[in-house]
Amino acid sequence: MDDLAVSTRGLRKTYRTRRGKRVVAVRGLDLDVPAGGVHGFLGPNGSGKTTSIRMLLGLIRADAGTMTMFGRPVPERLPEVVSRVGAIVESPKFFPAFSGRKNLELLAEAIGAPRSRVGEVLAETSLGERGKDKYRAYSLGMKQRLAIAATLLKEPDLLIFDEPTNGLDPAGIREIRETMRSLGAQGRTVLVSSHILAEVEQVADTVSIIGHGRLLASGTVAEVIGGAGKGTVKVAIDNHEAAIPVLTEAGWTVRLDGGYLYVDGAAHPADVTRRLAERGMYVAELAPVRADLESVFLELTAGEGLGTDEIKPGPRGGDR
Amino acid sequence: MIRLVKVELKRLYARRLTIIGIAGVVLITGLMLFATWRSARPLSESELQQAQTQFEQVHSEWVRSADEWKKQCERDYASAPDPKPSIAEYCSYPEPRLEDFGRPRFTFADTMPDLLYGASYLLAGAAFLIGASFVGAEYSSGSLGNWLTFEPRRLRVYGSKLLGALLGHVPVAVVTLALLIGGTALIVELVGNTSTTSGKVWGDLLAIAGRSVVLAAVVAALGSVFAMLLRHTAAAIGLLMGYLVLVEGVFGGFLIKAQPWLVRLNVDAWIKHGTTYWVDNCQTMPDGIYNCTSLEKTVSFGHSVWYLGIAAAVIVALGALVFSRRDLT
Repeated sequence: MDDLAVSTRGLRKTYRTRRGKRVVAVRGLDLDVPAGGVHGFLGPNGSGKTTSIRMLLGLIRADAGTMTMFGRPVPERLPEVVSRVGAIVESPKFFPAFSGRKNLELLAEAIGAPRSRVGEVLAETSLGERGKDKYRAYSLGMKQRLAIAATLLKEPDLLIFDEPTNGLDPAGIREIRETMRSLGAQGRTVLVSSHILAEVEQVADTVSIIGHGRLLASGTVAEVIGGAGKGTVKVAIDNHEAAIPVLTEAGWTVRLDGGYLYVDGAAHPADVTRRLAERGMYVAELAPVRADLESVFLELTAGEGLGTDEIKPGPRGGDR
Repeated sequence: MIRLVKVELKRLYARRLTIIGIAGVVLITGLMLFATWRSARPLSESELQQAQTQFEQVHSEWVRSADEWKKQCERDYASAPDPKPSIAEYCSYPEPRLEDFGRPRFTFADTMPDLLYGASYLLAGAAFLIGASFVGAEYSSGSLGNWLTFEPRRLRVYGSKLLGALLGHVPVAVVTLALLIGGTALIVELVGNTSTTSGKVWGDLLAIAGRSVVLAAVVAALGSVFAMLLRHTAAAIGLLMGYLVLVEGVFGGFLIKAQPWLVRLNVDAWIKHGTTYWVDNCQTMPDGIYNCTSLEKTVSFGHSVWYLGIAAAVIVALGALVFSRRDLT
């Protein structure tokens, strides 16, 4: 279990709405987050990402299932591992009337971190000069950086970022992405939940995709992407009508879409050009179709409805 | 735990509302001292003249009519409804004295307890407000959830917040009451009458002040618990105000037998080391007259100690139970 930073089995959480209806936010989630590197925790809004993270951090109680962090059952033994875990759940939340530095000083003192560490983490997150400003005056990006600075006070082995780029401008998004990448490169485990696939695909080594509170796929990004669109070749050719029977005869599936032929089943793109050339047909353009995380995600969650209607009436907050 | 309490104390004193609350308490204390000074200063020439004139008028009336009043009273005594005092007491018309006219003489021993009672309620009110906002602000800002990602042991967090509110109000109450007692003593020393200020008076005053400090500290902690239970400062204050107005004010006025179980009366008994209240006893007499008499009842200090102690313990335990099981979203 030491190779896993986080593991959950059969994790379940139901809420009762204000109208008394019970809704399931997480239904039997099995999640494994390997130690080291960046792990993307993906799912549509309302799929149970934040609820799962809150359960891991002991902020809400699970109805059923087990969770471990670094091999320790949580929340029972969370105090033993909390010093190794830094987390930002949804938007950063600090005392608005205090300065960024004051907020960090209080947290540092609470966990017994040296006061000098505050200056260091402020500098690491480029907030050194603005540390004395009141938190309420911070931009969203600065708030996010302060939250990261707070997590770094502990020098954690596991960082949990829940939708870290929500509301950030492109520069802010890039900054957070680089921070995550850098933390992952340092050997720390970064668990980043998001519904924005592009940002995760750029930084994640492994991913888990959930929908309606259940795990839909998990593995390295390459493994998850490889599971979809395998062997598809996009072909541009002048004579579609003549090419289609040739390719079909070879046992491949062919469809015409937007002036391109999409050939499924070929072991290698070269097999397609060779087959056509043998019949005197030459391709104008040929490219293997690489599935991206987004297409995999959409494919996997297509049957899940993607909707949040069932769990929308849960407690206040964004993603459940 | 000690580290957490220290952090909570720092946070308490760094909060703007705490500073404003303390400044308000100090300002009102200053106003109380100013009012004390105005009451304690000697009578002016015109006030003395006015008092002398009033005294002479009343005294001459007494000289003329006292015997007649007494005889009339003794004639009426038999028909006065029971229970009644003795005839000597009932028909006593003492000779007016000059010192009873004009602004009353200010003595430290008589005035200081009342000032302390007032200050006790002032401190308790401010403590509840500051204590409630101390925790309510954490819910409003969402920082409580963030805090728990650093210290997940909820009962420790709960205990540290309560202790922070409680201990943080001790110096505030001590300094305020010291300012009030010291300032009043100084004023009376300079312009008033300290002739009745004995060692026992000082002992009683210090005991009242001590109980007032305890009250302010506990009320601050309870304010935090209320905000913890209701997740909002305004809700905590609203609940307290609603309780005081509806239960203690409206229903308490009707339910005479419930008086010993009202919080306000027990707080009075705590501060004053026992207190009294009046109950109207109404009945139709044999002659058909409906008669009401007021009976004085006592709420002892001991009663207030166990009543308030149990109430506070139950509220704190309820807060701990709810907070330890609550989902923080």
